[in-house]
Amino acid sequence: MSQDTHAEHHDVIAEIKKVTIILSVLTIVELILGFWMIGITSEGLRLAIKGVIVILMMAKAFYIVAYFMHLKHELKNLIMTIVVPLALFIWFIIAFLADGNSFKNLRNNYDPYFKEQATIKAEKKEHGAHGATPSSHEKGASNEGEHKTKEGHK
Amino acid sequence: MSNVTTASTKEAKWWNGGKSPFDVEYGKVMMWYFLMSDAFTFGAFLISYGTVRFSTNGWPDPNLVFKSFPFAPEGVNAPLVFVSIMTFILIVSSVTMVLAVHAGKMMDKKGVVKYMIWTIIGGIAFLSCQAWEWNHLHHEGAWWGRNPFMNADGTASTSNFTNFFFTITGFHGFHVFSGVVINIVMLIMTLMDKFEQRGHYLMIEKAGLYWHFVDLVWVFVFTCFYLL
Amino acid sequence: MSHEAALHTSLGHDDHGHHEHHDTFLTKYVFSQDHKMIAKQFLITGMVWAVLGGLMSVLFRLQLGYPDASFPWLESILGKWAKGGQITPEAYYALVTTHGTVLVFFVLTAGLSGTFANFLIPLQIGARDMASPFMNMLSYWFFFAASIVMLSSMFVETGPFSGGWTAYPPLSALGDASPGSKTGMDLWIIAMALFVVSSLLGGLNYIATILNMRTKGMTMTRLPLTIWALFFTAILGVLSFPVLLSGLILLIFDRNFGTSFYLSDIFVNGVGALSNEGGSAILYQHLFWFLGHPEVYIILLPAMGMVSEILSVNSRKPIFGYMAMLGSLFAIAALAFLVWAHHMFVTGLNPFLGSVFVLLTLLIAVPSAIKVFNWLTTLWRGNIRFTPGMLFAIGFVSLFISGGLTGIWLGNAALDIHLHDTYFVIAHFHIVMGVASMFGMFAGVYHWFPKMYGRYLNNSLGYIHFWVTMAGAYLIFWPMHYEGLAGMPRRYFDFSIWESFKQFAELNRFISTVSMIVFAVQILFLINFFYSIFKGRKVTTKNPWESNTLEWTTPINPGHGNWPDEIPEVHRWPYDYGKDGVDFIPQDVPVGENESSH
Repeated sequence: MSQDTHAEHHDVIAEIKKVTIILSVLTIVELILGFWMIGITSEGLRLAIKGVIVILMMAKAFYIVAYFMHLKHELKNLIMTIVVPLALFIWFIIAFLADGNSFKNLRNNYDPYFKEQATIKAEKKEHGAHGATPSSHEKGASNEGEHKTKEGHK
Repeated sequence: MSNVTTASTKEAKWWNGGKSPFDVEYGKVMMWYFLMSDAFTFGAFLISYGTVRFSTNGWPDPNLVFKSFPFAPEGVNAPLVFVSIMTFILIVSSVTMVLAVHAGKMMDKKGVVKYMIWTIIGGIAFLSCQAWEWNHLHHEGAWWGRNPFMNADGTASTSNFTNFFFTITGFHGFHVFSGVVINIVMLIMTLMDKFEQRGHYLMIEKAGLYWHFVDLVWVFVFTCFYLL
Repeated sequence: MSHEAALHTSLGHDDHGHHEHHDTFLTKYVFSQDHKMIAKQFLITGMVWAVLGGLMSVLFRLQLGYPDASFPWLESILGKWAKGGQITPEAYYALVTTHGTVLVFFVLTAGLSGTFANFLIPLQIGARDMASPFMNMLSYWFFFAASIVMLSSMFVETGPFSGGWTAYPPLSALGDASPGSKTGMDLWIIAMALFVVSSLLGGLNYIATILNMRTKGMTMTRLPLTIWALFFTAILGVLSFPVLLSGLILLIFDRNFGTSFYLSDIFVNGVGALSNEGGSAILYQHLFWFLGHPEVYIILLPAMGMVSEILSVNSRKPIFGYMAMLGSLFAIAALAFLVWAHHMFVTGLNPFLGSVFVLLTLLIAVPSAIKVFNWLTTLWRGNIRFTPGMLFAIGFVSLFISGGLTGIWLGNAALDIHLHDTYFVIAHFHIVMGVASMFGMFAGVYHWFPKMYGRYLNNSLGYIHFWVTMAGAYLIFWPMHYEGLAGMPRRYFDFSIWESFKQFAELNRFISTVSMIVFAVQILFLINFFYSIFKGRKVTTKNPWESNTLEWTTPINPGHGNWPDEIPEVHRWPYDYGKDGVDFIPQDVPVGENESSH
């Protein structure tokens, strides 16, 4: 009995070590991708990297739930009652994001004011300045301002 | 009470009644379903964030927003560095929590106390980091309804970037805070030998589930706000 | 191992029944942890709300039926909300809004599934109590707190929230949008947040109890359909209410902290363009209906479950197609999460996305039809006993068909654009969800009253109650279909100023008159209910309906712990009626040697 639990103890510790390393590596890869993305301007490539990051995120979530939360070692009954309802998120996400995107397109097509807003350059701000002025309340000002800075283009 | 010998001969028939089909006590079933429910709360927040972001033309670049570091000189450009430290703090505290749960299963009171203390320290460290970051952003002029950052393409940004950032990280921080409180209560109960008297450390397991869930949510929050 | 020992001690509450508590009034009736008492608390609180909500509907029907008349007595009740004996528009909108909120959440969610989940789950699965009696008690008290907050919102200076029970922004997000958008809305949000906590505490308990605490032999396919329905209800609640909570938290920020989650730079009369930018009111609607649609089934499923049980018992026949019933319950529960945007076809929803939602919505017709046909075939050639409970169950089936069919119309985006926000919608959801679930609730009360109080309800009053309510429900809501097809919009204060709606003045007066009669009959039911608790005919046998389920194996007035001795073991499914020529075989009877298998 005590030998059993002893062996079990080592297995568990080994597993925790393994998962810790996997999680760290996944996070580091995510961060590397994040740093890499800073210099990239191609929209397609950025999207691809973001896709990879999301996949890595799901992998991390899997390891946390399966090993740290011990779900992988529970009975299949429990695993199924947890995992199956989570499938609801698929349609939850797709429908919300698709309609959000559609709302943007609708407004860009039919609301000239909305579209115009998206082309107004913000005035360059001194970062770190205390009490910087909120941007959302001064659209009138930036509308008239002819001295808009063009540095925003990259 | 159920007869142990008959129960073991009908091992496969989990659903026959008279016992848990999951072989766990009801508290853990409740905790799992509570976490599912909480997952929908956070899910709804993050999906709302995604929806608004998808319905807006421009969005700030996180690397230009989250680029500061405590004690570093003003104007330092260190994107992702501070948040990666926060992420590692939370991962490490999750690991110590697993170790505490495991020590509990082994009925190792000293182990439980040691790892619980580390977990609590990790939680407080994370909260401190978050407090610093919030404070820093507030000084830069960011708050609910105020967004000093411009979009990645240089156009004027709406305030929803900061609105969602503060709401969701705030809600997550609130969860971390309550997790720390729960862990402190668990630590006190362990020190008072409550679990030794009960003969099991199941409460630690449930607190552990909650703590890992908080870590899990951070995985999503971190990705959505700092990387994507 | 210690782990297993812990499992066993926490699994069985065997010790509950044995030691006698010396209960004080406070622990027995107020802070009770007995699931049966908590159920009664839910029921009676729900009834108080039903009366208030019903009274509100009578008041606004009075306005719709008699838009030009003045009733001086109204002013003496409502004060400034009925200046000169006429309900003011502000009061009208507040009444409509509160009627909706109260009936949907407080009566048909807490009052229905709170009552019957608490009462029936431990009794029917063979458990001494809920998994956590303490959390169960908390669940009621959170509901009570929500009730108090909602009630108090009616007495604030600016009145309760008045922007519709769905609380769409900008009416709910801008404090100055309407009188009710000020304190009334704040209190509405607080009440709903408390309500979410209550339903979460309850739901977790129901799920854990049904999964973990079934008695020996009670496999999942031996559960009465009531329990299955309550199980799915609990899951729906636990997974959908949090989304409302998130939506409401964002709403609080919009109201108080200058954010623009739901607000954009819309033009407001007298104010100009708002300074908010980038928000989307549609987002709120998505979040709301992600709860709101499962909520419809949270209301409907318990009624479906109880009706299945009552129909089977009172037609002395096994329920037809148990597995099909179970499958359709599951299908309805799953689809409930996938169809929310069919409430939003006219918001500017992406048409392609809309068509997907149409498809998913129409799919619900399949499991619904399966259930209806199974109920009808259960009745077919049955040896039917027309108890009041049975009549209400049959009434439920009738209403579910009538209201469900118009759902197929409304589920089509193309038709919905014409019918949206008209009285057609009112007729549809009141019949299929409002009145039908109310019928399920009445059926449950009539059927399980003997178990709750050890006395019978008066049958004659029950028959009057049923027939008037049944006829009344159709007389009130059927004509509304015509009004809706003619384009009469909902939530309007006064139709008499439109030439095209003048033709409906008579009809509106008729509907209002019937609604008052139906309301009066509900008072008769209440009299019956409270009279019978104290003076009703006493139940003399353990199993008055000759039913198979476990709750009828308990004593006539079961104490805390339900069974004085051992919990019975279960050997068969709950629907062995008329099997091998035997009228009924309770679940705890062992299977005989020569018995045929079902």
